[in-house]
Amino acid sequence: MVDSTAADEPAGGSLAVRRRLDRGDPSTFPEWFNTRKPRANLIVARWVPLALVGLPVLVLFCIVVYPTVWMFYHALHDTNMMRLFQSNWSFVGLENFQTVLSSERFGDSIVHLGIYLTFGAVLQVLLGAMLALILYELVKNNFLRVVLLIAMVLPMMLPPSIVGVLWKFLLTPSNGAVNQALLNLGLIDQHIEWFNAGMSLWAIIIADVWNWTALPLLIVYSGRVSLPPAVYEAARVDGAGAWTTLRRITLPMLKEVIAIAFIVRFMDAFKFVDLVFIMTSGGPAQSSELPAYIAFQRGIREFAIGEAAAYAIVIFIASAVLITLFLKYLKKVLKAQGFA
Amino acid sequence: MARVSLRDVNKIYRSRHDDVHAVNDLNLTVNDGEFVALLGPSGCGKTSTLRMIVGLEEISAGEIHFDDVLVNKLDSQARNVAMAFETYALYPNFTIEENLAFPLEVRGLPAPERRKKAREIAEILRIDDILDQRPGALSGGQQQRVSLGRALIRDPAVFILDEVMSHIDAHLKFQMLFDLKAIHQEMKRTMIYVTHDQVEALALADRVAVMSNAELQQFGTRNDLYHTPANVFVADFIGEPPTNFFEAELFTDHNGTVLKVVGSDLVIQLEPGHAQRILRWNERHLTVGIRPQSLHLGGDPALPALEAKVAINEYLGERSILTLTDGTRSFRAMVDPDTTAQRGERVKVHYALQDVMVFSGKTELIIL
Repeated sequence: MVDSTAADEPAGGSLAVRRRLDRGDPSTFPEWFNTRKPRANLIVARWVPLALVGLPVLVLFCIVVYPTVWMFYHALHDTNMMRLFQSNWSFVGLENFQTVLSSERFGDSIVHLGIYLTFGAVLQVLLGAMLALILYELVKNNFLRVVLLIAMVLPMMLPPSIVGVLWKFLLTPSNGAVNQALLNLGLIDQHIEWFNAGMSLWAIIIADVWNWTALPLLIVYSGRVSLPPAVYEAARVDGAGAWTTLRRITLPMLKEVIAIAFIVRFMDAFKFVDLVFIMTSGGPAQSSELPAYIAFQRGIREFAIGEAAAYAIVIFIASAVLITLFLKYLKKVLKAQGFA
Repeated sequence: MARVSLRDVNKIYRSRHDDVHAVNDLNLTVNDGEFVALLGPSGCGKTSTLRMIVGLEEISAGEIHFDDVLVNKLDSQARNVAMAFETYALYPNFTIEENLAFPLEVRGLPAPERRKKAREIAEILRIDDILDQRPGALSGGQQQRVSLGRALIRDPAVFILDEVMSHIDAHLKFQMLFDLKAIHQEMKRTMIYVTHDQVEALALADRVAVMSNAELQQFGTRNDLYHTPANVFVADFIGEPPTNFFEAELFTDHNGTVLKVVGSDLVIQLEPGHAQRILRWNERHLTVGIRPQSLHLGGDPALPALEAKVAINEYLGERSILTLTDGTRSFRAMVDPDTTAQRGERVKVHYALQDVMVFSGKTELIIL
């Protein structure tokens, strides 16, 4: 529709002008709307862009590239911390890797890692997802929701050292709070020896679940918040009940988010050292050791830098392969849904 | 099947800073099996009205009845309404077939039957070739048709369709308007259709409710809206191109009573009977509306005419639109496409006396 006669009409108030305003005709926009002042060119010296890119690259080189190369180098040498600065280590080929892969200790730690992943990481993700959905779907008061969210996230904000010490106290067999509570509730007849050979790994898992459940909770909660409300309105109108909506709509849509929460906890498991060190030191009799802890123990505490580097590389390769496979799977799922 | 009646329905969105009165004292009855369109510009409250009928929005005041049942407190499921959303609201993790069949799945229909029904509806809506895809891979128009199909697959008391054709291309829209009308005639279900496009509303609906500024302006058949618009807004909104409006004053001389356009030499004649009614109205400043369709180039010379210069001659295929100006006022006339009127040429456009609409200048309500 052409309307070039606007200039013929008295300005303001007239029906025609009002009509155009109602319809948002661009000819009624103020002049500044269509004109933009050109901005002066940003002229800088030639070295500025180089420096802006170069400095971070330099920092990254120092803290990432150099140590990695250094690690690969020493994994092939019989480096010992005692002789680290005397440079008198010798090339041993793949001997370190042979030691690592044939060690029974490392094999056991893989089993421990498996247990930790199934009952620690998976439980954290399941629990976190459940709490997040309960919080979002059932707590309708905004203030209460925020308070609960903060309360549930608090454990994650404590440093691992505090968490470790805290749970060491709570799980003390003779007079720890957990045993006392279980006794008083009549769930057990005698103290559970939390730090004995069979239980120490579980003690770590309990502390870790308490510490890290908030992370999947936050991830899933934010995922749920960002789901389109219109879809839920459609489900309401279509007649889907709460359970059907959860099973058929919410969970499938949160699949990727939950997977990402799991990946994060999965990656952390491979470098999980802090609580092991603080609560059990891998003991008793190496019954709660995880792979990364052995690398730490061999390298930092027993000075076998070469062997520790080999451990680190094996862990790195294993986790890299697993994560890649996982991401590939995730990409396939997303593609099947028409995203990405 | 149901008759939907709204009584003094209000919607007020409350926020910390100010309240927005989105729907104001709306009274509307949609008869059983009737196709009603809610028509109005963006932000006029039509979607709020719709959401209250569906049960997605709380009713701030007033009552909504389905037949004789008060549904204010019932949720959408209990009201048994089907809705197609403007934003599609498709389930992203389902295939198109699953999307279409979800309302049936919820109602426990066995899978083979769901499949059959989904295919039927997909065929009608021309989406049977994309049944295995997911919404993310589809165009807006395709998603919109899936959303429409998901509503039509059910057998509800009322169908609610919210701007369901806004993203469908013009060619296909024409066909779909026809299909939707046919579906309605076959199903004989109550349908409420929200749109800002008068072409859709007038083509589909038995009656059209025109809304503006949170209020119902007029509710009637397309004839009512076109020939006796309740006020200036309806006269302006209905019809393409929009009605020509003139601010005019009553002027009586020895020839009788006429309307003189303010700030111009244009004079609009009135039927003698009408003049009497306007005089009785006792208002000097009036708004006169004449539709471009009522202005004829080279019509019966006995009829009154407006004389003006041609500013623009728009050729639109089956017709042309002349924009005329007398220097101060401009207005449009719809004429034969083979009109050769050039820019600057003086022409006379004739009109019939009964095509002149007169509105009160103060209240903007129609006088005749």
